[in-house]
Amino acid sequence: MFTAAPLLAFGFANLLMLGWLAAAAAPILIHLWNKRRYREVSWAAIEYLLAAMRKNSRRMRIEQLLLLIVRTAIIVLLVLAVSQPYLEKLGLPFTPGQRTLKLLVIDGSYSMGYKPTDKSRFDRAKELAEQIVDDSAEGDAFALVLMDSPPEVIVGQPAVEPAGFIEEIDNLRLPHGGADLSATLAQVERIAQAAESEGLTQVEAYFLTDLGRNTWGADTSGTAAVRQRLERLAQRASLVVVDLGQPSAENLAITGLATGEPFVTTTRDVALSAQVRNFGSQPQTHKLVELLVDGRRIKESYVDVAPGQQAQVTFNHRFDSPGDHVVELKLDSDLLVVDNHRWLSVPVKEHLRVLCVNGKPGTTPMTGAADYLALALNPTSGDAQATGAIAPEVISESALVERDLSQYDCVFFCNVAQFTASEARLLEGLLARGGGLVFFLGDQVLADRYNRELTGEQQLRILPAKLGPIIREAQYQYRFDPLNYRHPLVNVFQGREQSGLLTTPVYTYFKLELPPEGKARVALAFEGGDPAIVEEQIGRGRSILVATECSLSSIDPATKNPWTTMPAWPSFVPLVQELVSLAVRGQLAERNVEVGQPLGESLSAMSSRPTIAITTPGGNREEVRMTLAPTSSRWTFADTRESGVYGVELGTPVDRKQAFAVNVNTAESDLAKIAPEELPREFTTHQKSDLDDADSPAIVKRSGLHKTLLYGVLGLLLTETFLAWWFGNARR
Amino acid sequence: MDANPKYLDPQTLAKLQGLELRARSIVEGYVSGVHRSPYHGFSIEFAEHREYSPGDDLRYVDWKVFGKSDKFYLKQYEEETNLVVYLVLDTSESMRYKSDDAALSKLEYAQCIAASLAYLVLQQQDSVGLVTFDSEVRSLVRPSSNPSHLKQLLHVMETSEPHRKTRTGPIFHDLAERLKRRGLVVILSDLFDDVGTMLAGLKHFRHRRHDIVMFHVLDPAELDFPFKQTTLFKGLEQLPDVLTDPRSLRQAYLEEFGKFLNSVRKGCRDQRADYLQLRTDQSLDVALSSYVAARMARMA
Repeated sequence: MFTAAPLLAFGFANLLMLGWLAAAAAPILIHLWNKRRYREVSWAAIEYLLAAMRKNSRRMRIEQLLLLIVRTAIIVLLVLAVSQPYLEKLGLPFTPGQRTLKLLVIDGSYSMGYKPTDKSRFDRAKELAEQIVDDSAEGDAFALVLMDSPPEVIVGQPAVEPAGFIEEIDNLRLPHGGADLSATLAQVERIAQAAESEGLTQVEAYFLTDLGRNTWGADTSGTAAVRQRLERLAQRASLVVVDLGQPSAENLAITGLATGEPFVTTTRDVALSAQVRNFGSQPQTHKLVELLVDGRRIKESYVDVAPGQQAQVTFNHRFDSPGDHVVELKLDSDLLVVDNHRWLSVPVKEHLRVLCVNGKPGTTPMTGAADYLALALNPTSGDAQATGAIAPEVISESALVERDLSQYDCVFFCNVAQFTASEARLLEGLLARGGGLVFFLGDQVLADRYNRELTGEQQLRILPAKLGPIIREAQYQYRFDPLNYRHPLVNVFQGREQSGLLTTPVYTYFKLELPPEGKARVALAFEGGDPAIVEEQIGRGRSILVATECSLSSIDPATKNPWTTMPAWPSFVPLVQELVSLAVRGQLAERNVEVGQPLGESLSAMSSRPTIAITTPGGNREEVRMTLAPTSSRWTFADTRESGVYGVELGTPVDRKQAFAVNVNTAESDLAKIAPEELPREFTTHQKSDLDDADSPAIVKRSGLHKTLLYGVLGLLLTETFLAWWFGNARR
Repeated sequence: MDANPKYLDPQTLAKLQGLELRARSIVEGYVSGVHRSPYHGFSIEFAEHREYSPGDDLRYVDWKVFGKSDKFYLKQYEEETNLVVYLVLDTSESMRYKSDDAALSKLEYAQCIAASLAYLVLQQQDSVGLVTFDSEVRSLVRPSSNPSHLKQLLHVMETSEPHRKTRTGPIFHDLAERLKRRGLVVILSDLFDDVGTMLAGLKHFRHRRHDIVMFHVLDPAELDFPFKQTTLFKGLEQLPDVLTDPRSLRQAYLEEFGKFLNSVRKGCRDQRADYLQLRTDQSLDVALSSYVAARMARMA
């Protein structure tokens, strides 16, 4: 037997309002009352009145009936409109009375923190979510997803107890990240699928969002994967977007904060520069920017930012003590607070500790492979008064394994012949901790041993490129090609021809062979196109390979020429300084991450496992465990959904406190939103931009019925006015 | 003519007590501008001389006396006029009606007109009689030209109480038979009766060679029907009551009433009767003078 499923399921979101339908009797009552309430007049010409009555009584009755019908209909339609009628769904076998899964997806991108009134968009989303739950029918089930990046399924298993579910909504806190639409839709689809197996055949997914262009723009919602997923989802569920965004929202944000140098010491000033961007359409003038170091207000400045533009603010500061310092930049408060702060964790050192491994010690001064390098690292070493930022230490090749490399920020290898597997492990540990390695080659170098131990052939990958054959031609002098100074390493030489970078004479070098699909980048090349300096980020650290040597100790036996006279060239000192800066850059990057990125650190291999306690910006204290490995131990902490400073305490045997800064990705600071019409057609939308509207009616699928009814009321009001005028006056 | 217009306004007249006073006010208010009496007759038997006053017909000036005394005197005759005016006043219940906007009821207004005409006619030394009627003739005062006759007429008018339904047709037939002497029949009524029988009565008057003047007295509310709210119209003259929303019925009523007026007007024209519609909010001197002027023009 075939039973047709109803095509329309009709209901009212605000059933109580239907009680006002009784008011529809008012026009009839007024009519009857008017009949009882009249004035009396003695009338002589009654004969003519009676004649008129006889001829017109039928017409008058029809007119009165018509007016009564119109007036009653006005009240009925008005009551129906405010009762928010809705059509459940067209075309799908939706049956009223069946259990429905109400899947609430709340946008968790930090633009939802925009607070144009005393309520933020996120607060309003929670209120509306609770209202949807309140207005649900008996037996409906609920699920809750926070559209974060990645999305967080708060209640995945359909909940049937509204009170508990509302508590979950209450407990939601807005994270400081973006929102991943594609991944969220995947979660929604998964929950909808699972609900079907539990007998919840009707699914309504409500997306409570500000429709930020970053999340909902065509480049995310229009991709093939999202389109396909939406089509599949629309077969299963009705998708409703509740638009909480305001069309024009002003916002000023700090989009960047960085030190001018990759490493900071107590010996020199450091430039702290920040970018302040105006994402709104109005100019922002005289906005206060404050610099706080370790919570103390140090300096302030004022900025003017034109709409859509960015202003740069720079503060010079010298840290007076080594250790971890937290720099905070604070902007005048506006309606979106979260991007008005930016933090920077700055590990300040007394000196940068650099180890130089000398592969070819000299017998007299400046004849060893590392001598020129050590001098270039600390040019003021001869001056007792001067305090250099870098403290180089030269050791022999054999002393390397005895050193605790965790004490060093960067290690230079100068004409070192070969590496053992245990040395390679040490170097890998250093890279994992964010340290830097710089390899200068030379006549001692055994290319095949390098390639075997350091380029991934024996599992460990230390070098960014393999060593090829030695290139030399008699009396031929190779010159550098700066490759348009694109790489930050050589960028400083641009426009400074007198530094001699381009005239640096090189007679002999190793041909470096880059892996075909690696991340290694050529920073400097030879004129023939062979790489001269190759660098790559490996682990958190950086490995740099220079194709030639850094001293005059390697002599070509045929021509008696050194491999290069670069150490004596004016370009050498700045080049070495830039190499150090590039090599240790990873240390600062490790301490400063974006919301959603994990915190972590690699430590030297240790036998015991220290306790690690993390204090979040919200004041929560959490403990993480360290993973032990033969070469290095590592801890990670992934729950960085909140921006701010995370304090890390490492217990014994390390006994150290560190600060990690987690900042927002300011893409979300751009509050531009898409129009509801730009949404994929699978969505229906509700406008809820007025965040003050506390008594807004429940959200139901947009059927447009109440609007139609209101238009009907308007039409009837005009009709009534016209009819009353027509019956009463126009024809008189 | 407008020497004393404020006394001719119905609102002002309503404040004056007594028909005589009202009539005097009306007539003296307008008569000073009229140079020639519309009513004039002749007689054979001389009675006395009277000093000329403006408006008197120069034909009756005694030129001999003028030759002797250099003063104008008119010759007065025993039987001064051949004009007899019959004032036929409707005192039916419907004449009692007075709307809120009107100062006088239709009957009061008609009485004023009748009294004024009587005063005027007696001033002209003509005879005037009075008939009051509703469904039957209530009183009949024989015509006389004696100035003291006015008091009797006014008394009859003042004591006439409106009641009963109008029955114009039989009354007019009856009067046509009873008023033997040919004269001017002045009818003052709202004519709320069957128009056909009323016109048949008029025809009878005409047959008896009477001149007819029809003063159709109506209340402004009857002509405009200004009512807005639901009203119970209580029928006068034993007609049923009507409860209705007057706004929705106004057009139809005005159409019906218009038909009635047209049929009356046309019927009067056919009977060569002078027809004059009077609104009770209309100034009485305007009402009178417009008629008198029109009649004078026609007789000239």
